[in-house]
Amino acid sequence: MQEFIAQTLNGLTLAGVIFLVASGFTLVFGIMRVTNLAHGAAYLLGGYIGYSVLGATNSFFLGLAVAALAIGALGLVLERTVITWLRRSEMAELLATLGLIYVIDDVALAIWGGNPLTINLPGFLGKSSTLPVLGIVYPNGRIFILGISVVVAAGLYYLLRRTRVGAIIRAGVDDREMVSALGVNVRLANTLVFTLGALLAGFAGVLGGTVLGLYTGADSDMLLFALAVVIVGGLGSFEGAILGSLLIGLVVDYGTAYFAAFAYSVLFIPVIVVLLVKPQGLLGKQGA
Amino acid sequence: MTAAGPPASAGAAAPARPGRPASRLARVTLVVLEGSRRLTAPVAGVAAAVILVLVLQGNGFASTLVEDALVYAIAAMALDFMGGYAGMISLAQAGFLGVGAYGVAIAENHFLSPWAAVGIALGVVLAAGLALGIVAVRTKGVSFVIITLALGQVLYGLAFQWTGLSEGDNGITVASLPSIGSFDLNNPLTLRMTVLAVFAVTALLLVLFVRSPFGLSLRGVRSNEARLAALGYRTGLHRYIAWVIAVFFAGVAGILYVFVQGLITPTTMAFSADGFLVVMVVLGGLGSIWGPALGALVIVLFQQELSTYVTRWQTVMGLTLIAVVLFSPGGFWGLLRAAGRRRDALIARLRAGPAGETGPADRAGPAGGPSLALETAQPGTEPRQTP
Repeated sequence: MQEFIAQTLNGLTLAGVIFLVASGFTLVFGIMRVTNLAHGAAYLLGGYIGYSVLGATNSFFLGLAVAALAIGALGLVLERTVITWLRRSEMAELLATLGLIYVIDDVALAIWGGNPLTINLPGFLGKSSTLPVLGIVYPNGRIFILGISVVVAAGLYYLLRRTRVGAIIRAGVDDREMVSALGVNVRLANTLVFTLGALLAGFAGVLGGTVLGLYTGADSDMLLFALAVVIVGGLGSFEGAILGSLLIGLVVDYGTAYFAAFAYSVLFIPVIVVLLVKPQGLLGKQGA
Repeated sequence: MTAAGPPASAGAAAPARPGRPASRLARVTLVVLEGSRRLTAPVAGVAAAVILVLVLQGNGFASTLVEDALVYAIAAMALDFMGGYAGMISLAQAGFLGVGAYGVAIAENHFLSPWAAVGIALGVVLAAGLALGIVAVRTKGVSFVIITLALGQVLYGLAFQWTGLSEGDNGITVASLPSIGSFDLNNPLTLRMTVLAVFAVTALLLVLFVRSPFGLSLRGVRSNEARLAALGYRTGLHRYIAWVIAVFFAGVAGILYVFVQGLITPTTMAFSADGFLVVMVVLGGLGSIWGPALGALVIVLFQQELSTYVTRWQTVMGLTLIAVVLFSPGGFWGLLRAAGRRRDALIARLRAGPAGETGPADRAGPAGGPSLALETAQPGTEPRQTP
């Protein structure tokens, strides 16, 4: 039972990291119809940057901040250049981001090499404590990650539901042409969402680097998780990303713990079921 | 098509008869150009075949390179058939290549004869394609890419994690290859020639499919599926068949892959390998069948031979892919086609005579010639008849 509780907490932690990646992916797709395959590469690059900053300054939180801002800046530049130049076709944008994966991965390989790296959490966060009620010993860092993702989810929810910018983003997801026709600067909203999505991916990279590690292939793993989330939750749906992350995080973790030979395949069961029953995703809109 | 008629406002120049260029230089140029229009394709085809046969006779660098490239070209051309003509760009193609390769290797390691192993591998690939196709074909465009990416990763995950069957990271070796009488694939030369033959048959079959009414309706499905469905086509079935064809040839390529390499590991099916196949297709030219074969040659050259000299070749490849998508969506084959169109336009102008610049110059039709899945819709690609 204790083992199961620990696995469930692990799954929730993983869900937190996946949510940080998937929410950016799904919002970018929702408002811009851009399928950013390089989102996983942005996650990994953020982790590497955080690792280096941590190594140079000995400050985890500085690493977290620098990684998030650096990847956010990269997203801003990419949105203003490649993505803007390719506005004519969804497939062209997707292929360009496929090219970006190879560039980012190769640059990361040149700088950080191919050996797996782990980011160490500082002080209290790096230790474990006995959880109240549940009565198991559990790493503080994982609870911290879980807490941060809940805070970020709440912040995003507030942004989307309670602010004017959020209203524009939600309206853009529903009907881009109409919002644009109403005189709203959709262009600016696009840039904002793309930058925010990249920033979250870089942020998630540092957090994920502490529990999952940084390795060649971490980018495609995380991309796969994010894609599974948006398929299950519905492309472009923020609430779907929360629901999907919880489901995929738990499924991946239970799968790895109890069916090691089929961890990836178990992940696919909810994806197939959703595709067959409700192809637009659990919380996706018809035709989205 | 409008023929080059007499120039309406020829001005004061002598009445040059249409079809007869005035100057000697123009006449010579016209003859050369018309000859090139007629001969380029057959001459290039024959030359390529001769070069391939000659290169594969050898035992060195070039021979290995071409052999590897031909194997990947089979999977890439099949991907192009589905991606370029039906608009279904799959990121699972290397996964199915791996299914074919693992199918043979595992069957052989369970003491089946090589021929039986080949049969089982083809059966497993077909079964996997038929089953996963039910899921994949339900989606279109960008969603299709996402679903196939996930499918490809599941196949990779099985190879990587199901160590009881796949030996995990160590991979599986294939010791003995099929043979009948004097036809023995264990002989490297025979194997290379067989790869070439399978490549040629695959290419011809795919070109036949593209030109058949089925290929025409596939293009219709890509351009405007709703209209085709309204005309009574079973568009879902069309897409499903295209998927199964592409998957089948990926499996064929996989069987040859493991015969050539002697070893199959999960890396062959990793996400980057799925991406490489898409890069081959897009660099070579989406919707051209032959272009992806060239793309395969270039990528395999860099990946397997030049990677020691050009360390950052993946950066170069990624940037090239972005540049191609930005500036030349037809890829390499698109550039060739554009050159061909310019030549045809020049021929038309020369035929029209010295004052022909006022005449209708472009006989090559609309400029959007190469059939690109990158463009959402194109006029003039609807099929004219029901199959």
